[in-house]
Amino acid sequence: MAKLSLRNISKRFGDTQVIHDFSADVDNGEFLVLLGASGSGKSTLLRIIAGLTDPTKGDIIFDNLRVNRQSPRERDIAFVFQSYALYPHLTVRENITFPLALDKFKAWHHIPGISAIARRIFGSSKEVAERVDSVSSMLELDEYSKRKPGGLSGGQRQRVALARALIRNPSMFLLDEPLSNLDAKLRAELRGEIVRLHKLTGKTFVYVTHDQVEAMTMATQIVILHNGIVQQHATPQEIYARPANTYVARFIGSPPMNLMSATVADGQPALGRLRLPAPEGLRLGTGPVTLGLRPEHLTVSADVDGPGLPGTVRRIEDLGADTLIGIQPDRTLDLKLWELNQDDLIWIRQTGQTRLMTGDPCTVALNAGMASYFDSDTGANLASAAEVSDAGMLSSHG
Amino acid sequence: MTLRTSISPPAVAPTQIQDAPSRHHMWQRISPYIYIGPAVIYLIIFMIIPVVQGIQLSFTKTPLVRPDGGTGVGLDNYTRLLSTPQFYNSLGATILYTAATVIFAVAIGAGAALLLNQAFKGRTIVRAIITLPWAVPTVATALIFSWIFNRSDGVLNEVVGVFGVGQQGWLVDPKYGMAAVVLTSVWKVMPLVMLVVLASLQSIPSELYEATRMDGAGALETFKAVTWPHIAPTVRVVTLLMTIWSIRRFEIIYLLTGGGPVDSTNTLVVNVYRQAFSNQELGRAAAIGALGLVLSLVVTVVYFMMERRNAAKEA
Repeated sequence: MAKLSLRNISKRFGDTQVIHDFSADVDNGEFLVLLGASGSGKSTLLRIIAGLTDPTKGDIIFDNLRVNRQSPRERDIAFVFQSYALYPHLTVRENITFPLALDKFKAWHHIPGISAIARRIFGSSKEVAERVDSVSSMLELDEYSKRKPGGLSGGQRQRVALARALIRNPSMFLLDEPLSNLDAKLRAELRGEIVRLHKLTGKTFVYVTHDQVEAMTMATQIVILHNGIVQQHATPQEIYARPANTYVARFIGSPPMNLMSATVADGQPALGRLRLPAPEGLRLGTGPVTLGLRPEHLTVSADVDGPGLPGTVRRIEDLGADTLIGIQPDRTLDLKLWELNQDDLIWIRQTGQTRLMTGDPCTVALNAGMASYFDSDTGANLASAAEVSDAGMLSSHG
Repeated sequence: MTLRTSISPPAVAPTQIQDAPSRHHMWQRISPYIYIGPAVIYLIIFMIIPVVQGIQLSFTKTPLVRPDGGTGVGLDNYTRLLSTPQFYNSLGATILYTAATVIFAVAIGAGAALLLNQAFKGRTIVRAIITLPWAVPTVATALIFSWIFNRSDGVLNEVVGVFGVGQQGWLVDPKYGMAAVVLTSVWKVMPLVMLVVLASLQSIPSELYEATRMDGAGALETFKAVTWPHIAPTVRVVTLLMTIWSIRRFEIIYLLTGGGPVDSTNTLVVNVYRQAFSNQELGRAAAIGALGLVLSLVVTVVYFMMERRNAAKEA
């Protein structure tokens, strides 16, 4: 129904460039998440797609039609706001019916008194009533239909906002941090709800968030933005397993990927004195590189003489099912941790509990096969850079 | 060693628990009275006592020259007032003046606020200029307008002269007296309406307007769905204030027409002044004042009843 293409979108506010030359294609039915810290330009991008903000440059294309000149309404999309943006004086049901009622609204309905009657007749017509009923029950809003938004909780309000988006059966849904104002439990609940709606409607969803959990659990595709520049556009799995650069590596995952300075000699990387096997399918040039390993690709043992990095346990965070262990590597190793590593520790995720105690000496074993290698200057993933150049394509960013 | 969660009551028998002495608590109990004390004293001395005395005065026949030397006449002042056409004429003038001033001031003020809420170049300057009349002292306003309306060399006659209309006595012709007074009053009070409504408009979240854009609402629908419901409570309050202030406005009317021409602008307040200081009948003046107070009270009560109904509808 609607394939979304964004071509070379740029946006400036005065002297500030908010979005730099953004391009992306989103197939019909995709769930695209625009992920980034605040100020990354993700909301602006969403508003540009919606038509609430004009791009400084670039084309917004729906199914081979350039829609830059179309009003938000003409683009046939629904927008869900972070603050819900419900009409406070209308009941839940009237809020949901509002977009439909507008379609039927004629100029003469503005004659005082007429509009209320017209709206009532329209709202009680069989077709409309059935549609509103089905959307309300889908979002479990039936019992609140006569209430005003002021009498609803945040989660209920956002359900009403979703219902108002659904009622018109638009070709695309745009959601701007819809769960940010909710508490953790409701957020998890509505996350499932939104995924269900996406499956049910089969429409394209573009979803803005700064929450990596939302991105990882809901998206079929993620675009990570940083200062208005695309860092990576890929599936959640791809982004997690093969981050395009150190920014993505640090942004996704909790705790984030461990980054360590390694040196390469004869194609073989070494962490301090610890030599690692050469990575498969990637030829490393001699010199410094940044090595990245997810916390679950490291193991720790109390055996001080075993193979690996010797260190000391500094932090233990028991999460119940998992335990996070923060290790300070031995000074004698001369191992440089990437400056941003949390508390300058190597973090390890282990299933279940640990017998280690804070202060214990230990050895960290690396699953070197899972390591990512990044350019120590640019931060770009060396593997993906190699692939990109192999394919003969040059991406202008990250 | 195993850990056990204990839910059994403590073994020691509970002792009598007493409040720890607290100066803070004492202060919390007294402080509200200290804060409202000055306002209460002020209201008693300057509002409640004079009102009571005024009402007492209305049951007497008191000459201006001997304010303490009144003689009780019961309801005489009221019965006489209510049987003279002059009082009804005065009441009518008050209602006409109030209605016209409030309607125009609120309509123009709210309209100006809607216009000035749009983004355009020089908006701040335009806002400042439109706000100016509110800052001009009332006496100065009355003087300026008495020159504008002046029969022989006023600006207004010059302007209408361009269109071939002859010289009019704007302040001395019974046809125009009320209109001139209303125009002056509206010019003076409209900026306040504008400022208050503008403040209310600026508190409307922009997402609501964006939501109506997404829904495809036109300007009028947006106004009805978003703008009006937001500013309506403010408009109602400002209407109430404008009404009460108009009922008791004195300076502009008295300075422009003195209640004339032919009593056409002789509102209750002007009437009170004339009875007291021209006819030197303090008792009669107090009776008119008391009836004016009743009028204000009626307006206020009606307003609060409407608000209650609205609140009930909102819930």
